[in-house]
Amino acid sequence: MCKSPEKVETNLGSLLPEEINGWKAREKDKVFDPETIFDYIDGAGEIYRAYNFKKLLARNFSKQGKPGIIADLFDMESSRNAFGVFTHDLDGEDVGVGKGSKYKGGLLSFWKGRFFVSLYAEEETDETRDALLALGKKVAFSIKKEGEKPRIVSLFPQEHLFEKRIHYFFNHIILNYHFFVADENILLLGEQTEAALGIYRDDDEKYYLLLVRYPEAGKASVAYNSFINAYMPDALESGIVQTEDLKWTAAKLKEDLLIIVFDVPTGSRAKEMIEEIGKDK
Amino acid sequence: MEKKVITRRDFLRVTAMTPLAGAFAYGLKIPQEKEVSKKVKVVLIRDEEALISFKKPDPDVVQKMLDDAVAILLGEKDPVQAWKKLVKPSDIVGIKTNIMHYLPTTQEVEQALKQRIIDVGVPEENIGIDDRGVRRNPIFQKATALINARPARTHHWSGIGGCIKNYIMFVPRASAYHPDSCADLASLWKEFNLIDRTKLNILVMLNPQFHSVGPHSYSDKYVWDYKGIMVSQDPVAVDAIGLQIIQAKRREYFGKDLPMQTPAKHIRLADTRHHLGVSDPRKIELLKLGWKEGILI
Repeated sequence: MCKSPEKVETNLGSLLPEEINGWKAREKDKVFDPETIFDYIDGAGEIYRAYNFKKLLARNFSKQGKPGIIADLFDMESSRNAFGVFTHDLDGEDVGVGKGSKYKGGLLSFWKGRFFVSLYAEEETDETRDALLALGKKVAFSIKKEGEKPRIVSLFPQEHLFEKRIHYFFNHIILNYHFFVADENILLLGEQTEAALGIYRDDDEKYYLLLVRYPEAGKASVAYNSFINAYMPDALESGIVQTEDLKWTAAKLKEDLLIIVFDVPTGSRAKEMIEEIGKDK
Repeated sequence: MEKKVITRRDFLRVTAMTPLAGAFAYGLKIPQEKEVSKKVKVVLIRDEEALISFKKPDPDVVQKMLDDAVAILLGEKDPVQAWKKLVKPSDIVGIKTNIMHYLPTTQEVEQALKQRIIDVGVPEENIGIDDRGVRRNPIFQKATALINARPARTHHWSGIGGCIKNYIMFVPRASAYHPDSCADLASLWKEFNLIDRTKLNILVMLNPQFHSVGPHSYSDKYVWDYKGIMVSQDPVAVDAIGLQIIQAKRREYFGKDLPMQTPAKHIRLADTRHHLGVSDPRKIELLKLGWKEGILI
């Protein structure tokens, strides 16, 4: 599902400016691929690999007496991959750059088209913040194709959705990063599936909605049974259970879409959420 | 026998039974309380001549620093006698290094460690040095003794990367340990049977990195010539002292207590939650050897 490149060859360097607010690119760009990324990114390479990244170009900008600015431009091969890797870390404020952006402590990240862009200043000052925002806007402008959010994301109810947090991913390792379900891949996630996890908050109660779309209904049915047998064998018939923390988990299959809610404060609310998604599909 | 799948509900069941177990989403093992009857020893050694140039250690000075530090740590005059308390000739020894391009453990440190292991009588073919390949490396698969050596640096996911974090390469998917600022990093030591096999932890502070922003950040500007090496048998204690030095350097550089982007709470939790070692400075005996200028602690 995430293997169809939208357009592979682009001169990545042409998408970045040579100068921004007096910061100039004075060093040779560095380019990394999925094998060499670990030389550049200490400990985080596997996340970009989980989203099938193809190439990374890093450009350093410097200005006399000012903190350095670094631009990392990731070619993620498809907009769904770019969107997915962007949703991995959703801390920060939306600053309106690209199709979705976050700014936190001198680090601006955004996605547009098939690109994920990470811009950061070695120290945060008013001047570096201005430069990062200007750089972000310039890079976003140079990426012509907009890219669309995966449709599955539009299925999430907006009411009580906590800070618009929806994480989009393809494998259970990333799911477990955001919300631990099981050590094994009991939902049968993989390259052929897409999944999204929404985080909800209502009266200080936090709960989760997980949607997984499979290539066809038969595979979704196998995954539903795998999940029910491993996670809630005490709810084989009903598909809803009160778990040991006195909260509710419910699951429902709707053709190729598997709908699961976790940690919902009441059984009625869990059922309501499941039914709401079922209607909208 | 079919392998039991561990789900969130197993975790909730255990949590309902005991407040201690809440942390163990990945292992569901209840830790044994480590007895702390006396202070844990950490040796910090510094030498003004440790570096030939920026990030280029002097191999002879590094060897002497490690010899002196290990001898003091283990209460021996002769470094080889000290090493005999750590490894025996029949051991298969893995030196877990760190090859991060910009700031590695360094070959000088690796070779100094290897030399003393050979001096103890371990055949060279039974000694391996590896980082990203440890899961595939036959020496590490069979290792009866591990030596854990890495540089100290700030880190996007865990606040700082030190000896606790250096074993992340034993894990098939490192990102599983990233949530909540890598809070439960220490659990991998139990999960992958690394606690008892680890004989010595070396936190290389020849050129520590004290500041970074974002997951990709490295800059020579935030690396300084500290010219130090720390050794301890307790990975938590050595990281706790390393963190104090890095925080002191940040105060000196920025002129204020600038919080790290990610709190290095995994060090304290390695003690209070996972009982891997000691993070409370009052329970650590820090022995300082050598050059004192700019020691920051």
